[in-house]
Amino acid sequence: MIDRIASFGRSGLELVVSIGRAGRFLAGVLSGVPRPATGFPLLVKQLYSVGVLSLAIVVVSGLFIGMVLGLQGYTILSDFGSEAAIGQMIALTLVRELGPVVTALLFAGRAGSALTAEIGLMKATEQLSSLEMMGVDPLRRVIAPRLWAGFIAMPVLAIIFSMVGIWGGMLVGVDWLGVFEGSYWGNMQASVDFFDDVVNGVIKSIVFGFVCAWIAVYQGYDCVPTSAGISSATTKTVVYSSLAVLGLDFVLTAVMFGNF
Amino acid sequence: MSLRSYISLKDVVFSRTGRRIFDGVTMDIPRGKITAIMGPSGTGKTTLLRLIGGQLQPDSGDITVNGQSVPKLRRKELYALREKMGMLFQSGALFTDLSVFENVAFPMRVHTKLPEDMIHDIVLMKLEAVGLRGARQLMPSELSGGMTRRVALARSIALDPELIMYDEPFTGQDPIAMGVLVKLISDLNSSMGLTSVLVSHDVQESLSICHYACIIADGKVIGAGTPAELQVHPSEQVQQFLQGHPDGPVPFHYPSSVATEDFGLAGGVS
Amino acid sequence: MTQRTSEITVGLFMLAGLAALLFLALQVSGLTPKSAESTYTVYADFNDTGGITPRGRVSMAGVTIGSIESINLNTETFQARVAMSIHGDVDNIPADSAAVIRTSGLLGEQYIDISIGGEMDSLEAGDTFYSTQSAMNIERLISNFASGK
Repeated sequence: MIDRIASFGRSGLELVVSIGRAGRFLAGVLSGVPRPATGFPLLVKQLYSVGVLSLAIVVVSGLFIGMVLGLQGYTILSDFGSEAAIGQMIALTLVRELGPVVTALLFAGRAGSALTAEIGLMKATEQLSSLEMMGVDPLRRVIAPRLWAGFIAMPVLAIIFSMVGIWGGMLVGVDWLGVFEGSYWGNMQASVDFFDDVVNGVIKSIVFGFVCAWIAVYQGYDCVPTSAGISSATTKTVVYSSLAVLGLDFVLTAVMFGNF
Repeated sequence: MSLRSYISLKDVVFSRTGRRIFDGVTMDIPRGKITAIMGPSGTGKTTLLRLIGGQLQPDSGDITVNGQSVPKLRRKELYALREKMGMLFQSGALFTDLSVFENVAFPMRVHTKLPEDMIHDIVLMKLEAVGLRGARQLMPSELSGGMTRRVALARSIALDPELIMYDEPFTGQDPIAMGVLVKLISDLNSSMGLTSVLVSHDVQESLSICHYACIIADGKVIGAGTPAELQVHPSEQVQQFLQGHPDGPVPFHYPSSVATEDFGLAGGVS
Repeated sequence: MTQRTSEITVGLFMLAGLAALLFLALQVSGLTPKSAESTYTVYADFNDTGGITPRGRVSMAGVTIGSIESINLNTETFQARVAMSIHGDVDNIPADSAAVIRTSGLLGEQYIDISIGGEMDSLEAGDTFYSTQSAMNIERLISNFASGK
């Protein structure tokens, strides 16, 4: 019994320690003022691998999710004879929830795991140490551009996801199921508010982008530099990012839309 | 001694995850010479290099490099000091996303504002020095192990450092590549006047090029001196290491309980 | 992949994001670029505002002419005071018009409809509607019907 309490306490302590380490790590990454001349090309390179290369999966998923929403929404709403509200339903679901959340989950799987594995491998092959010995801080040189790239790319991807999803919903709802195009857009415009819905969705995705990128680079930087260590760090990145995104989504939704 | 020594360690104690790796190590590394630090695997030779480079902090004791106390340096001063150090890692540690040319150019691009054509010339000179000028467009994944180390060597001398540290440069090399590295290390030392620290457990190669050697075991320096002095060193432990005897003061067996217990033969088998 | 090409693709990526944001702003949320257009505010007191919300629609003959600014309770009369901002180009609402809360469709959103009066004078900024008609409360309607009143 005492053993069980002790091990419970120990794992609690370890959690606190790892959160503290992650925080100190973050402070180390963000403390340096980036020099535009050297920082910008590095950032562009990371934006390419984190953002542009994630575009395909985001666009395809967005299209399918929009189409599914169109189909499901039509069957449910037509029971009430209000299938014209399909545009409103699709737009609100995507812009408020599915856009930021699904993009963040895809991002964690596609870009986050790659970031962790890349940094972990750089650690295992002593590239990070060798940077340090060259008098270059790896936190600023390697980690910071990746963190910023995730932070910038996520909202862009989420916005594109929502747009493609709304377009996919229109393909199904208007072109296939025969909802009038005018009422599709009209209902949407009447109910979606730019600041309440779109901007809040973008804020969500900024938060998710930051958290996902932070978890990914921290797990890579902190991993045990062996093949088993890197693979477990990659798994942790995906699991922790997904949990963090879903948990934070609830909190943010409650704060943004919960004032009934 | 202190005038001639470039690096000196005083009573350095360092432990990691509860295990004491160094227990009062004191040594001086002379300026402009090749010093070999040798010892059995797992005695923390690489750790010693990291302590000198300031990547790790000793628990107590002092490490001075060129008159500056490394553990007391502030971040900025430490990074400035490291610009004068080159380190050749065991794996080479080339940046896998950059070509050979860019790898060698990297320290110059970060630390200097040299114009592009000058960087180009210096890189080619450094690559020429290691005999790999023709390989400049290759990616690190296309290089053999020996070539990787030579490129890494070219990179670590790119900024003309005062000190270069070699971490196990000979491990896992074929005899020709090893011969090339031995020649390069001693050439670089004599032509550039570098202080070289060589960590290795390849006794013959190390003793053949070093001016001075130090043997570490069990967290302590057990023998130090010129190669000739070490050959006639009175300590049994030093002799066992140099001759490579399987058993001696450094035991063959990892510390364990009495064998009879492990095999279940403890007195009075029921 | 040279630095140049990756710069170009990243630039295109950011532009695509900007274009998508513009799409969400204009086409999806119907934000009009001329939002700095002049409006004026008029008030109406309702006994029951039902389900109207700030930023809801104010229309005349089915055409949107403004939006609801705020809804407050007047603690003296215990009526709800609704402020509406009306587009500046609709400056001739007859002064005896009535503000009516209606529902679009059977279950749709509630909005304020302005039924036009006949007077020659127009409502000015800061004026209050003379007559209003509160939200239709289906529950009350049904209970009235059941008790035969």
